[in-house]
Amino acid sequence: MLESTKPITAAKSGLVNCLVCHQLAPIASTHCKRCSTALSSRIKNSVQISLSLLVTAVLLYIPANIYPIMSTELLGDTTESTIIGGIILFLEHESYFIAAVIFIASVIVPMAKMLALAWLCYCANRADKIKQYELTKLYRVTEFIGKWSMVDIFVVAILVALIQLGELMSIKVGFAATAFAGVVVITMISAHQFDTRFLWDKVDEE
Amino acid sequence: MNKAQPQLHACLECDLLIKMPDSISHRTNVSCPRCNHSIAVGHNNAKQYVLAMSLTALILMFIACTFSFISFSSNEQIRTINLLQTFTELYLQEYYFVAVLVFSFILLLPTLYLLSVCLIILSSYRGFGPLPTVWLGKLMSHILPWSMAEVFLIGVLVALIKVTSMADISLESSFWAYVIFAPLFTHIVSMIDNHRLWCWIEQAKEPSHA
Repeated sequence: MLESTKPITAAKSGLVNCLVCHQLAPIASTHCKRCSTALSSRIKNSVQISLSLLVTAVLLYIPANIYPIMSTELLGDTTESTIIGGIILFLEHESYFIAAVIFIASVIVPMAKMLALAWLCYCANRADKIKQYELTKLYRVTEFIGKWSMVDIFVVAILVALIQLGELMSIKVGFAATAFAGVVVITMISAHQFDTRFLWDKVDEE
Repeated sequence: MNKAQPQLHACLECDLLIKMPDSISHRTNVSCPRCNHSIAVGHNNAKQYVLAMSLTALILMFIACTFSFISFSSNEQIRTINLLQTFTELYLQEYYFVAVLVFSFILLLPTLYLLSVCLIILSSYRGFGPLPTVWLGKLMSHILPWSMAEVFLIGVLVALIKVTSMADISLESSFWAYVIFAPLFTHIVSMIDNHRLWCWIEQAKEPSHA
């Protein structure tokens, strides 16, 4: 898209946008008149907050992969499986479709999300020219895929509820489920805290 | 209320000021000219449509919660679960955090969202006195990113494919209700943009009803 004139943003015209109800208010006001949400022109310390949450998520992702996500008890034998172990098990049973779904949802999506957020935070702090379109697109993808990594937790929840035949066959949750759910929630908050308007402010400065 | 510039809108993602058109024609999108962020979707009778769809979804959710979900049989043992057991079982195994998350994401938050939108639309027709529509609107914008009905549906399908090799599975009415509910919920969410939602809330607040 070509723009001949300098874009007029709300911040430049002395207005502030309410993030909840999207009503504009004079920049000096502290609370939205319509929904009384606290107003600020840009999310304060957005990059720092999202980066620190990101680091927490990366740390939590380690126990999520080390500890078993569920343990299956079959006729008295207990086998514990981690996320990766579960995927390998599916591959051995030649159920490639589930293996692919689980692999995408619990390995690729969280990794991609964390890498994307790290890249966004890095670019927002960089002084030189950045690609706003690509970065905004990247942010949208990150926000969209965020919740899809919960698939693995839901699968475990259903299996645990369904397969409870006592000694014969039963499934129990493992600690990794908590850690992994934590990763998903924290990366979602981290993405939410990132303010894309910082990226666009850089265009206006040039 | 700030009535001075009712037609001005700032893009949420790049802060560009946009003049909102007076009327948005049916099924056309208004998006930010700079960053392409979608701002509003036109629909001729969005209010009635969303109300009807939301009520349908609430009924489906009620069915999904009351009937049995899936039954599983292996070696002449049968186990039937309902939707609620997907998180109560986690709770019993003392995974409280995961249980609360699953409960909120698949059931509580989508239901709250639908209830809020129904109440807002109903009170925009006829003022319901002290109904906190503004609070409901705020609630809706906070819970929207956290409702995962469609993700749960995929999770159910994956779990089913996994289990079918081990035992006989029969799908009960609650399952089918949720299968319809999840895409319907996604459709409703796509119909409610923030611009329109807050127009409804403004209408609900108007003193002409009182």
